[in-house]
Amino acid sequence: MERVLSVESLVTRFGAQVVHDGVSFGVERGEVLALIGGSGSGKSVLLREIIGLVRPTAGRIELLGTDVWQSEPYAMDELRGHFGVLFQDGALFSSLTVAENVAVPFVEHTDLPRDLIAPLVGFKLALVGLPPDAGAKFPAQLSGGMRKRAALARALALEPDLLFLDEPTSGLDPVGAREFYRLLRALADSLGLTVFFLTHDLDMLVAIADRVIALAAGRVIADGSVAAVRKSEDPWLQEYFASRA
Amino acid sequence: MQENLPTSASWIERKVEDDSDVLYLTGVWRLANVAAISGRLRELGLHARTRFVLDGSKLETLDTAAGFILLRHLADVGCTQAMVSARGFDARYQRLLELVHERMTTPPSAAHSGHQGLLPRVGATVFAVVRMLKMHVDFVGVVMLELLSLVRRPGRFRAKETVSQFEAVCIDAVPIVALVNFLIGVVIAYVLGVQAQRYGATLFVADGIALGICRELSPILSSVLVAGRSGAAFTAQIGTMKVEDEIDAISTLGLSPIQVLVIPRLVALMVALPLLVFVGDAAGIAGGLLVGNWQLDIAPQVFMDRVHAALELRHFVIGIAKAPVFAVVVAIIACGMGLQVSRDARSLGQNTTSTVVQCIVWVIILDAAFAVAFQRMRI
Repeated sequence: MERVLSVESLVTRFGAQVVHDGVSFGVERGEVLALIGGSGSGKSVLLREIIGLVRPTAGRIELLGTDVWQSEPYAMDELRGHFGVLFQDGALFSSLTVAENVAVPFVEHTDLPRDLIAPLVGFKLALVGLPPDAGAKFPAQLSGGMRKRAALARALALEPDLLFLDEPTSGLDPVGAREFYRLLRALADSLGLTVFFLTHDLDMLVAIADRVIALAAGRVIADGSVAAVRKSEDPWLQEYFASRA
Repeated sequence: MQENLPTSASWIERKVEDDSDVLYLTGVWRLANVAAISGRLRELGLHARTRFVLDGSKLETLDTAAGFILLRHLADVGCTQAMVSARGFDARYQRLLELVHERMTTPPSAAHSGHQGLLPRVGATVFAVVRMLKMHVDFVGVVMLELLSLVRRPGRFRAKETVSQFEAVCIDAVPIVALVNFLIGVVIAYVLGVQAQRYGATLFVADGIALGICRELSPILSSVLVAGRSGAAFTAQIGTMKVEDEIDAISTLGLSPIQVLVIPRLVALMVALPLLVFVGDAAGIAGGLLVGNWQLDIAPQVFMDRVHAALELRHFVIGIAKAPVFAVVVAIIACGMGLQVSRDARSLGQNTTSTVVQCIVWVIILDAAFAVAFQRMRI
């Protein structure tokens, strides 16, 4: 097993407010890992720190062998080609069509000729289950589920080793959500992806997560398989898993 | 992290075994090498006459992009699924190829956000302008109806919001309006003075300043400044609220977005702009007076006497009276454009730009119309 992400005694403070108070965990290649926690438990901040958007107060984050906060900018640029991020509402560029959105990573980070990019973009859209005519549409013309799929296609464009997702099923109806996380699991299995996602969605957690990390009061309160975490004594986790039978 | 070295520059070794074509995939089949792989595939000149066997035993890595390029090429040369088989692949890559094959059957789409020809663009623009004019007329009607309903129920008028808007559009704008009009007064007095000196008629600079500033320049300049300052702000504020669904929230709470958002801004601007024009008048005349004193040796007392003699009340009133009309134009366009913002980042920017341009153009068109009309009426 190869460790692709390790977080060591991470501390984050915003003024007097302590968000993380010594968070540590590691992620092995090929794992599908869920990060859960109540609203305000610092999940999103942790994700932003891992992908290099918010600087932690102290601690170490190593992603694919690169220290995210100690490396030279060029090392981070190199690293960015190896992970994809799906933001909560997709974060597609609203002034570009879906096909152009997916083409952005190809155009910016590869030297592929245009006549190769076009079919690759079409394939990526098909890979995430979008109909062929979706490519010509603007993000505002798509439903929430289709926007997420298009954003997933963009996140997968450069064949990342790691995929980060922020609330991948929020705003989707239960049927759409189920389709979406099944697609994720299928892609993770076929592509050998490591998937790290934040969620409140218990169904998704049970259906696809290999491992769950629960965050509360700035610390990791549980780390293990869904079954193991479910047995935890922690009152918040008990309440969380009791919310659906 | 990634072994990008082209361990084998050939990517594919082709051998004929039994009666089938065996393609040994070699090396690192990753996105970075897709262009080279694609070139190599074309170079091989495959034909769909025989069965193909894909052998993955010499493969180092494979990703979906490379897999897609391979399978697409085979499909392009006419291979059906029955004609291609795979062997020797790592279980992971086997699954990956199956996934690629399953998904690639949908034809690729590659559309660009249009580059239209000149004629369609001209046509589309004309229709867009006509639509926009119609929308403004509609909006004037809507605002009038809401105003009438306010007259019947004056208790619903939002005085507090109106006052806070007044502060933003009037009080906060005083320095910039005063500065711009003052400088214009200085410039005009200077240019006029140089000409007037030749005829020994320097005193008439005061007439020119008083008339020009009060009747035309201050109303126009103040309105243009307000269009750029407050018009853009109205569109951006209301547009952002639209994007965040706040407008819908106002409606569902049983309030009228027009009464809550538009009418306070409209009223505030109608009160504010005449006052700003007055500030502009004073600042412009002060600018002229300063240049008259320093450059043209006109004593301030004499300059002001001339201003009193030349500036009949009607000129001053015409200048001030145009201001509320301009205010209505700016407020209606700015609020209307704000409510038209759609849910994307580009639309907000486009509408804000469009507001400023439309407001300035309309202010100038209306001012020209006023100038002609007043001339005909001999006032």
